[in-house]
Amino acid sequence: MVNADIPITVGVLALQGAFSEHLQLLKKASQALPSNITFRFLEIRTKEALSSCDALIVPGGESTTMSLVAERSGLLEPLREFVKVYRKPVWGTCAGMILLAEEANRTKKGGQELIGGLDVRVKRNHFGSQTESFSTPLSLPFLGDPTPFYGYFIRAPIVEHILPPTTPASSLENNTADTVTAPSKKPINDVAASFTSPDEVRILGRLTPSKLTTTEEDAKLGITSPSEGRIVAVEQGNCFGTSFHPELGSDIRIHKWWLEKVVEKVETKRRLEAES
Amino acid sequence: MATELPVETHVSLNGANGSTAQDATSFANKDALARMLKGGVIMDVTTEEQARIAEEAGASAVMALERIPADIRIEGGVSRMSDPGMIKRIKAAVTIPVMAKARIGHFVECQILDAIGIDFIDESEVLTPADNVHHVTKHGYKAPFVCGCRNLGEALRRISEGAAMIRTKGEAGTGDVVEAVKHMRTLNSEIKKAQNLSDEELYVMAKEIGAPYDLLKKTAQLGRLPVVNFAAGGVATPADAALMMQLGCDGVFVGSGIFRSGDPAKRAKAIVQAVTHYNNPQILAEVSEGLGEAMVGVSVSSLPESQKLQGRGW
Repeated sequence: MVNADIPITVGVLALQGAFSEHLQLLKKASQALPSNITFRFLEIRTKEALSSCDALIVPGGESTTMSLVAERSGLLEPLREFVKVYRKPVWGTCAGMILLAEEANRTKKGGQELIGGLDVRVKRNHFGSQTESFSTPLSLPFLGDPTPFYGYFIRAPIVEHILPPTTPASSLENNTADTVTAPSKKPINDVAASFTSPDEVRILGRLTPSKLTTTEEDAKLGITSPSEGRIVAVEQGNCFGTSFHPELGSDIRIHKWWLEKVVEKVETKRRLEAES
Repeated sequence: MATELPVETHVSLNGANGSTAQDATSFANKDALARMLKGGVIMDVTTEEQARIAEEAGASAVMALERIPADIRIEGGVSRMSDPGMIKRIKAAVTIPVMAKARIGHFVECQILDAIGIDFIDESEVLTPADNVHHVTKHGYKAPFVCGCRNLGEALRRISEGAAMIRTKGEAGTGDVVEAVKHMRTLNSEIKKAQNLSDEELYVMAKEIGAPYDLLKKTAQLGRLPVVNFAAGGVATPADAALMMQLGCDGVFVGSGIFRSGDPAKRAKAIVQAVTHYNNPQILAEVSEGLGEAMVGVSVSSLPESQKLQGRGW
């Protein structure tokens, strides 16, 4: 059990975008967790603030903006260390998932910096511009609850490709000239390394193909059955990513699910560190 | 940002029932994009090159237009929606959202912008109004709308018509922030006043400011506008941007201030950093250093009423 005297600090990267919405949902979700666990929720704009966090959410917004501001604020390397060296729990939504991907397509000219952590290739703005944005109920079996989760897909990315975890992204086939990749890093110690497990990417959610959710390209590919639907939620080790925005709306289930995972990982880490 | 926009308004304002799929015309999906722009800077650009400079600087969106407000002010004449071909070229040059302006009341310009897949429409006083009485009914479009305001009544009328985002009008193309400050201060003080009123008094206030009662009531409960609210009209420096953020704006539009300055790329980056770190004077000092010449600008107090753009809109 986590010592209630040491709160678990969860940060939300607050460089740009919908960080306030995540903080609001986190606060609500934490009230649905056992009261002996105390949380601290923080807006993160500096590396000093980041270093105090046990877990982090990278929110929705513009991924190019967040990436550039992170770089200019001296946060990009600390973020990569947070995710890949310390292997602390991280969740990215929409733009946040793009930043947590090892590879991204359709980035701006000259590419963009990624944090990495998820061995996936994401495609930005898969559905097109805002006029193609939509919201739809999603079936998310990992929640252990058949009630659909209402997902907002706003100029949303999708996971286009799951990468083999051990293969350097750059050696893969069908890399295009505009594919950008994140640099790789080694975990700091065995405790951190243990959070990489399971090391394969688990697909946690797919978009059911419908008129609204199928692009021309998807139609050409013949994506028609739910089992072939575009991947919109993935987990790998300490990283979790969603194409949609669970921070919009009043459904706290995903925030609660993720906070439970954070508690579990922080407990394990504190126990292992106390033992060593 | 003084008062956060509660996530509850996302559901309650727009009547999304959370069970059936909705396309882009749903207000919830429009409000969602507006929220994603928060904490960001939206920059006026007239060419693909400028759009790329804005994207590299970290703009969270660009506003594609043929003439920036400062030039509209100098050159005069009728200002209209930009050439859709030019807007499409800017869309192709960047990956961030692209906005474009339509004339007040010109619903066909809005239909055209919607048809080319624009990410946001600004029904803007910077262009010459096409209708002296009516604004566009903004609900049916796929693209969300942003509209200017000088006070609470104006803001709530626009939201009632379907705007998913509000901005202060300020006085565009001047580089003088005084009017944007005035409009934000006016909003804040009117909202404070509304918070202290009984229901009976709120009905009277709604009548006086020409705002729908329900939206006024919602605003009083929230202590802020129920949609995302940016600053616009006269922001020229990182300090101006941070000033508007500290006054409670959710983000900033910069029009002529960037590409009318000595070093647009550097200034654009500095303003982006200033909006993120608006509460950190140390960082604001660092990014304000050595930016070169700011936009020369024109003092609003020297402008005759007839040359002010903010009076357009009803």
